[in-house]
Amino acid sequence: MSLKSLDPRINRLNLPDGEQPPMEPKAAFDQFETYEVFAQKRDNTPFTYAGPVHAPNADVAFLFAKEQYSRRSACSGLWVVQTRHIMVSPYANDDECIYDTFKVEIPEHTAWPLESYEVFHLKKRGKAHTHIGRVGATSYQEAYHKAKQAFAAQHPAVNMWVVKSKNVLQSAEEDRDMWLTLPEKKYREPAAYKVLDRIKSFKEKQQKALNK
Amino acid sequence: MKEEAIKDLLYKIADDQLILGHRNSEWTGLGPILEEDIAFSSMAQDKIGHSLAFYTLLHELGEAEPDLLAFSRSATQFHNSQFTELPNGEFDYSLIRHFLYDNAEAIRFEKLSHSGYEPIAKVATKLKGEIKYHVLHANTWIRNLGSSTEEAISRLQNSLNSLMPYALGMFELSVYEQVLIDTGIYAGEEAIKEEWLTRIQQVLASTELTMPDIPSQTPMLGGRYGTHTKHLQPLLNEMAEVIKIDPTAEW
Repeated sequence: MSLKSLDPRINRLNLPDGEQPPMEPKAAFDQFETYEVFAQKRDNTPFTYAGPVHAPNADVAFLFAKEQYSRRSACSGLWVVQTRHIMVSPYANDDECIYDTFKVEIPEHTAWPLESYEVFHLKKRGKAHTHIGRVGATSYQEAYHKAKQAFAAQHPAVNMWVVKSKNVLQSAEEDRDMWLTLPEKKYREPAAYKVLDRIKSFKEKQQKALNK
Repeated sequence: MKEEAIKDLLYKIADDQLILGHRNSEWTGLGPILEEDIAFSSMAQDKIGHSLAFYTLLHELGEAEPDLLAFSRSATQFHNSQFTELPNGEFDYSLIRHFLYDNAEAIRFEKLSHSGYEPIAKVATKLKGEIKYHVLHANTWIRNLGSSTEEAISRLQNSLNSLMPYALGMFELSVYEQVLIDTGIYAGEEAIKEEWLTRIQQVLASTELTMPDIPSQTPMLGGRYGTHTKHLQPLLNEMAEVIKIDPTAEW
């Protein structure tokens, strides 16, 4: 028996009748790597952690990031970093600062030249990691110490992330106009669809009919 | 004469966007992976939004309301290129069409943002950022898949070969071509086509795909003046299903 879909698009696919052969089983861990996305809400505000995407490479991760994290809210730039390139500190207790509790040995031999590292702070649990600044260092450990000197006093944090700047794919300066979307996009937001009102009035009608 | 020329230009742009936007929206729920499904649907929605902006300009010039323009004309009254109305094949086909179309659209909008007709220039300036992203999306996929597996490359190549004559149909000359150029309203199809060929070629050169031989192609013309394939009318019927049942419906 062949089923006809109510969706004309499905019928147009002319799918063969009957059982489809099962797909070949996938190899273990057959999935894309994860990338972490940082979004900038407005010009001249710090980039803030938005969430992860799965992608085959950074360029595609950028596309997916744009869809997932910039469509429904204001955005003026995105950074994308492969998850494994982010060094993560342990968590400090809520009333402590990670720079006081987490001890990192400074590597003895520091090689030149300095590389640039991006530092992100989690101010408190439940917030998102926010870009706090950049330091020059020759290792993640050294970057941690430089970050401690530069940011600990002014910006206490319960957790910090360090990423080499070269591992951050940043949206291009000349593409700033890419983030200008039409303001009239209410239809993208769930609030624009008065579904709940309709469900409510439908239920009320139903209830009235029952009460009669 | 000048106003007729402007209307002619607006119609072909808006109709291309509406029809391709609808075709691409047919991927909603059927895309190859979830993220791409969302991306493709989202850009399809952009296209339809863009067509609304141009139908609104037409309405300001005395044409019917945007909804009527979109849903109440028959195929012979549509000015879209046949390229945009062809039914979706598999995803490689839609991806190639997206690549060929949006690269042309981006150039068209860059030029239109300097148009001598100010309302068009304003709309084009506002929309060209979104189209820039559509191009980034298309080019990223073509670069990635166009140098990946044998199957991906041969699928894309076949779609590229079969779509090229239709893509060239996008540049069908307007009967007002010279007026539009002389008045500084539009750069003209030939200029856009030349730039388009260069950009397409640049992306393809970074893949294992081959640019089809352009001089030996026969462009599929006629769409700009109502000659369409058999696929357009059924598409329009489907688009107008709701408005035909209840023209005053809110949805």
